[in-house]
Amino acid sequence: MITFIYAGLAITFLVLVLCLMRKAQPRDTDEAVEEKAYAPHIGNGRWLDLSERIFDPSDARWLGEELAFPKLEQALMQDRQRLAIRWLEALQASFDELVRTPEIAPSNDPEADSADGWQMLWLTMRFKVLVSYALLVVKVFGPYHRLVPSFAWVPLSQRRRQTIRQAALAGSRGSD
Amino acid sequence: MKILGMVIGICGIVLAGIALFRAFANKSLKQFPLFFSYIGYVFFGSILLYAVYWFDSQAYRSTYWLYFLISILVEFTVLVEISDHIFKNLPALRHLGRAITIVISGVLALLYILPVIIWSTRRPPALLGFALRASVTKVIVLAVLFLVARHYRLELGKNVAGLMLGFSIYLGVNVANLAASVTYGFALYNKMLWFMSPIAFTLCLFVWTIALWNLAPAPNGSIVSSVGGRNSKDTALELARFNNELSKFLEK
Repeated sequence: MITFIYAGLAITFLVLVLCLMRKAQPRDTDEAVEEKAYAPHIGNGRWLDLSERIFDPSDARWLGEELAFPKLEQALMQDRQRLAIRWLEALQASFDELVRTPEIAPSNDPEADSADGWQMLWLTMRFKVLVSYALLVVKVFGPYHRLVPSFAWVPLSQRRRQTIRQAALAGSRGSD
Repeated sequence: MKILGMVIGICGIVLAGIALFRAFANKSLKQFPLFFSYIGYVFFGSILLYAVYWFDSQAYRSTYWLYFLISILVEFTVLVEISDHIFKNLPALRHLGRAITIVISGVLALLYILPVIIWSTRRPPALLGFALRASVTKVIVLAVLFLVARHYRLELGKNVAGLMLGFSIYLGVNVANLAASVTYGFALYNKMLWFMSPIAFTLCLFVWTIALWNLAPAPNGSIVSSVGGRNSKDTALELARFNNELSKFLEK
């Protein structure tokens, strides 16, 4: 029995390799355009505005509690959930586009390059994990649950903190 | 049978020699240092084995098993080389391949490979079990690398694609072959299945030799991203900015 499992694994692997060896298909143009329309522009510093509106529960509460329209409240919440998922997926797509950007001029210092490479990988993984978790929470519980941890408790190295602060500063300057 | 084994072995040595010669000729040695150290190990190790076989046949068996065990470990360098090259052009993911290789290999070594060595009572099943599980680990690493490369729509380039294809053929045959040996016993392996892995390895060497005949760097720039290209430092800052803004958003 175990032989068949391993043989099956080997055959599946070889089929998978042959399928994956085919040239990567370019993305569907319509899909790319649609994603771009939703994609947040971090550089201008105003990308949080839309998210604030999407994730703000006050108008849904106002409909349900003050005006006593529970059905409308539900409909609004479902609509907001769809928007929130769309927004998070667009954010992820926008980030993936950044991650897929190739380097134009390789650095001459391999040691510094290696340290920066691990640091960038950490930032990439952190972002991917947090966005995936946020998506999961929004899909399961809706857009108004505050269940996404900040991960601020993760001890960051001094250098990494400095980089993030510099980036934040550059971001605020760029938005002015 | 003896002649078949020798023919396969000599074909392997010739192909490894050609691959090394080409690497010197087209200066690809610097581009794929780990891979060619492995090919060097195969080339000189096989010649040494033949020398031991001719001059001291009694020592051959133990020398062969030593070479076999070291090969299993040294083969991981091919994975490291492949993983380094897949994401070479993307600064944000440059170490992702190596991280995947190290993490998967480390976890499976602890939870999947080590138990078979510790709990086997006899040496031959332990050796075959170790070889099988190490091969499965390599298959998993390679499959994950393929999938991640596909996820990011990366163009692998002729050299890396050839390395991956060759290694996949060898590992796929090896896993099926070793699984049959573990199940049906060491005697069957000695009688019938022993030549399957060497044939697969020779085929793998053939694919590698063709793939690395000329250096063909992986395409970058406009093919990978619509943005074109970016400085590594700019990418780092942009990543930090994304993370910073996401943290702010999550803390709200």
